[in-house]
Amino acid sequence: MAERTASMAALKAIKQQVNACHAKFRLRLMICGSNDCHLTGSGDVKSSLDMALQETGLKDQVQIVETGCIGSCSMGPVMTVFPEEIFYMKLESEDVPELVENHLIKGVPVQRLMYHDPVTGQAVPRRSEIPFFALQHSFVLHNRGLTDPRRIEDYIWRDGYQAMFKSLTALSPSQIIAEVKDSGLRGRGGGGFPTGMKWEFCASTKSDVKYVLCNADEGDPGAFMDRRIMEDDPHAILEGMVIGARAIDAHQGYIYCRAEYPLAIERLTCAIAQAEAHGLLGRNIMGTGFDFSVDIYQGAGAFVCGEETALMNSIEGKRGTPRPRPPFPAVSGLWKKPSILNNVETWSSVPQIILGGADAYASIGTETSKGTKVFAVTGKINHIGLVEVPMGTTLGEIIFDISGGVPNNRKFKAAQLGGPSGGCVPADCLNLPIDYEEIVKAGAIMGSGGLIVMDEDTCMVDMARYFMDFCQDESCGKCTPCRVGTKRMRQILENICKGNGRIEDIELLESLSVAIRDTALCGLGQTAPNPVLSTLRYFIDEYNAHIIDKKCPAGVCADLFESPCRNACPVEMEIPAYIALVRAGRFDDAYRVLKRTNPFPSVCGRVCGHPCQSKCRRGQLDESLAIKNIKRFITDHAAPPNVETLPVTRSEKIAVIGAGPAGMTAALEMKKRGYAVTVFEALPEAGGMLRWGIPEYRLPRDILAREIQDILDTGVALRTGVKIGKDLPFADLEKSYDAIYIGVGAQKSMLLGLANEDADGVMGAVEFLRSHSLGEAVAVGKSVAVIGGGNSAIDAARTALRMGAYSVKILYRRERRDMPAIQVEIKAAEEEGVTIEYLVAPKEILVKDGKVASLELSRMRLGPFDASGRRKPVAIEGGEFVIPVDTLIPAIGQQAEPDLICAPGIGMTKNTITVNPDYSTAHPRVWAGGEVVTGPAMVIDAIAAGQKAAAAMDKALREIKGEAPWKAVQEKIDIPFEVDEDTVEQPQAKMPALAPENRGKNFAEVELGFNPETAVREARRCIRCDAVRGQ
Amino acid sequence: MEIFTGDLHQLPDDFTPGQWQKIDAIIAANRDRPGALIPVLEQIQGVSGYLPELIQRRVAKGLDIPLSRVYGVVTFYSFFTMKPRGRHQVRVCLGTACHVRGGRQVELKLEEELGIHPGEVDKDRLFSLEIVRCVGCCGLAPVMVVDEDTYQQVKTARVDQILARYRNKGEGHHG
Repeated sequence: MAERTASMAALKAIKQQVNACHAKFRLRLMICGSNDCHLTGSGDVKSSLDMALQETGLKDQVQIVETGCIGSCSMGPVMTVFPEEIFYMKLESEDVPELVENHLIKGVPVQRLMYHDPVTGQAVPRRSEIPFFALQHSFVLHNRGLTDPRRIEDYIWRDGYQAMFKSLTALSPSQIIAEVKDSGLRGRGGGGFPTGMKWEFCASTKSDVKYVLCNADEGDPGAFMDRRIMEDDPHAILEGMVIGARAIDAHQGYIYCRAEYPLAIERLTCAIAQAEAHGLLGRNIMGTGFDFSVDIYQGAGAFVCGEETALMNSIEGKRGTPRPRPPFPAVSGLWKKPSILNNVETWSSVPQIILGGADAYASIGTETSKGTKVFAVTGKINHIGLVEVPMGTTLGEIIFDISGGVPNNRKFKAAQLGGPSGGCVPADCLNLPIDYEEIVKAGAIMGSGGLIVMDEDTCMVDMARYFMDFCQDESCGKCTPCRVGTKRMRQILENICKGNGRIEDIELLESLSVAIRDTALCGLGQTAPNPVLSTLRYFIDEYNAHIIDKKCPAGVCADLFESPCRNACPVEMEIPAYIALVRAGRFDDAYRVLKRTNPFPSVCGRVCGHPCQSKCRRGQLDESLAIKNIKRFITDHAAPPNVETLPVTRSEKIAVIGAGPAGMTAALEMKKRGYAVTVFEALPEAGGMLRWGIPEYRLPRDILAREIQDILDTGVALRTGVKIGKDLPFADLEKSYDAIYIGVGAQKSMLLGLANEDADGVMGAVEFLRSHSLGEAVAVGKSVAVIGGGNSAIDAARTALRMGAYSVKILYRRERRDMPAIQVEIKAAEEEGVTIEYLVAPKEILVKDGKVASLELSRMRLGPFDASGRRKPVAIEGGEFVIPVDTLIPAIGQQAEPDLICAPGIGMTKNTITVNPDYSTAHPRVWAGGEVVTGPAMVIDAIAAGQKAAAAMDKALREIKGEAPWKAVQEKIDIPFEVDEDTVEQPQAKMPALAPENRGKNFAEVELGFNPETAVREARRCIRCDAVRGQ
Repeated sequence: MEIFTGDLHQLPDDFTPGQWQKIDAIIAANRDRPGALIPVLEQIQGVSGYLPELIQRRVAKGLDIPLSRVYGVVTFYSFFTMKPRGRHQVRVCLGTACHVRGGRQVELKLEEELGIHPGEVDKDRLFSLEIVRCVGCCGLAPVMVVDEDTYQQVKTARVDQILARYRNKGEGHHG
């Protein structure tokens, strides 16, 4: 039996004892004992350490403490070595001998096991220097990683129960309430009602019996803040509840904890027993004469019980349905007695506020939201865990600076705040400060602190469906709007996800949302439409893609596609089919399958941005398939399918302007449909960007020529050297052709907007690459600087190097992870000797005798977020420096040449042609597609644009004559189905490449292609996820 | 071991006298406690595994409350079940973090492997499958829990291997 801690002196004595105990040890190993660390093996690490301490005789010098969760849940198992605070992560018991030998005995910390900065790769030894910890503000979690949650002495050591003593002896109930009111504390459960005000109402209600309740029914999926507080700092909750009880004069409290948290219940039970034994809870607390007992009440799995009146019904042993309010619980709550209910985080804030004073607390945060907020940051995020920040911190700071951003180079899409009652906010909102009112304005709610990060692989319609499913599941059924309304909304969303949505569903969802919000009985129902409303507000394009195109761009809604790779491909290449044919050794058939959907497979096998690979299901197991490289293998090794001249069966004539991938594809598609087609090209050969923009070491000219010839062999006419608007007026085309397709691309580099950009030695990347491809006399100087971070920048840099430049520098204004260029290309450039400088931007072009001589650069830092979800670079004042440059190549983007396309009647915005969803323009006989419409994009996007525009043109021409739409006749190729019995982990096959030293100054193709063995082995890795459902 | 084939509600009384004793003791201990119904049912389910009509009648009588109230509570809270569960409880988390990290694929794979839908028990009464909304292990998503064992970052291709461990255990019990 512990001694009753009857006074402040006794608390201080315990504190001294703990200090003395700590002083006995030279080192203290604080191992995180949270659930997540346990599951990743912290128990084994601890016992190995225990054993090692025994064996080495260090037991008296080194103490091992199992602490509560320190919040870095995805780094576990983690350990901090005090006093230096050296932080180790992802420990395994095999690491223990090295740790003991080097750190504990020799005093040399083990770098290998530390956190490493993702950009510099440097080890960061101290916990306080790791951004995840350094940028947080611990208030509620101030004991994290410092105490053993099973020891009340540790809590007292951290000044625990002092605030309670103060409240029971030095403050009157009204003073306590005033303090809480002045602090500005608002309910952390989601509503944000001012806590002090709630207490005041209850205190002023006369009753012999009152109750203090703690809502620990943390039901929001993805939220685990309260769980951790209960498990790791249970006394803080008890202390807060005693203070609240004193404020309203209650003597009985309940903690309503969900049944899914057995460890939390165990720790709380243990804490209550300890506190009672020390005289800190129960009768005559600390000898003050104040009585207060706490009982734990275990929930039984009903989300709605997180609603205060439902929770009270549940404690009373009834179905957990909400009661209409008023009367409010402060007047008539549990057992019809005045009651106050606060959540775990609110209660555990109270002792700190009383101890530190209201002013100190109110000095943190924003005008209307004070103090700190704990978030459980989960989903597609590098450092999953608990994050505590001052109110007013921006969403972007939490997601990127503290939690390390989105993993696997994926794009941030949305953050979900507030669970099923909250909303999803997009990248535009990354500068949003955490503040009750601001978050509501953005369409979400603060909620209890669940923050789920979503990337490009998350479907927002599916998310809305998911939350609606949740709310429907958890609706208690008492009121009709919630019971029936959420069901109806779920049905509609399910229909949309299955491809059965109708355009009027959007309006229906909106009106149902408003009706439910305005009429449901409790918070669950009133807020249930929020996820739908917020996704409709920010992600309407995704709804439209599901409803109109029957496509799920994220590749989630399984009813809308066969395989995620094919779904991701703009032309829906039959990826699983040709992979299966490679596996079966039927390479010639595979080539025929390639050509069915894509006239440029050998081009795409080399230079495609391969969106398919990022969606490959195999990637969930080890790595995605090398789809692009398999495609190239087929075109390298198989016999090309025969091409026949296609007959002209229709009277209409078609003109195509621009012989790039968009134009040539459209021409072929129209030819297949029986039209006579003529392609007009300004340059001497067809190919567009593929011919003039992409360097030969990536795409050999003969490979491209072969695929263009295949198109011409069908009977498409090509007229090169004819620039429309210059060599031939647009009006002539209008006269001679029934339909015109414009696919002229974006052939002009964007300007930097600096003076002297017209000086000698300055040339845009596109113009530079084109001149070189044309064989014009273009020379590079000794020092070449390329501005930009996209594929054109890399192409220009590698080309300049091959042309004999002595030094080639790429100057990029953001960080490496923000570069839009293909990773493999960036690496190849570096291998060849290109240097890349990050966070620099050109400020002034310095000229000597009309020729560029040097470049003044500004050092940049990353400022607020822009709409792309990346931080916007801002110049650092005084960070200017000058580098010598004799050739300057801006590669910051491309645009169309306006004089080429401003034919009368064609709508333009900002150098691109404006088109309707079917690629038609304002001119009734003109269609357009490719980069002239979208701006810079992938080859495969241009091919897709050509196909879709051709289909629309054909449809329009046939409609004039009242004909039925054209139907493609597809050659029948039997696709085998073979999968391995057992899937063995095996990484993606590497693409063999010329050694950097052999690339030298030539333009020989760098990547060498797979051999048949490698290709078949790689094809065998396909898990045929396309067939799983059908079987 | 008896193989269960019939309708779940028509199960024979398959509780032992020892279990009934414990059930009655729980009821007796809480007879005069207001609001005791939910804790009583939680404790009894811990003994019996599920709460068929027979037990509900016993509770209603013992606590002197209408059977309708007991039934109302049992059917309201998802923690309570009127169906027997399998020897091994497979729970797949579909909390938001698990959902966005592929929990649904894991769930579909489990349905396929076990041949049952959530809320059902397989014909050998070896496994029952349940969907849970967030077990609070979001750092390890997607998560599935078999009995007391939590499996982190579950990949669909590994689901069969996880189940196999319990299949073998089950066979061992059958002798």
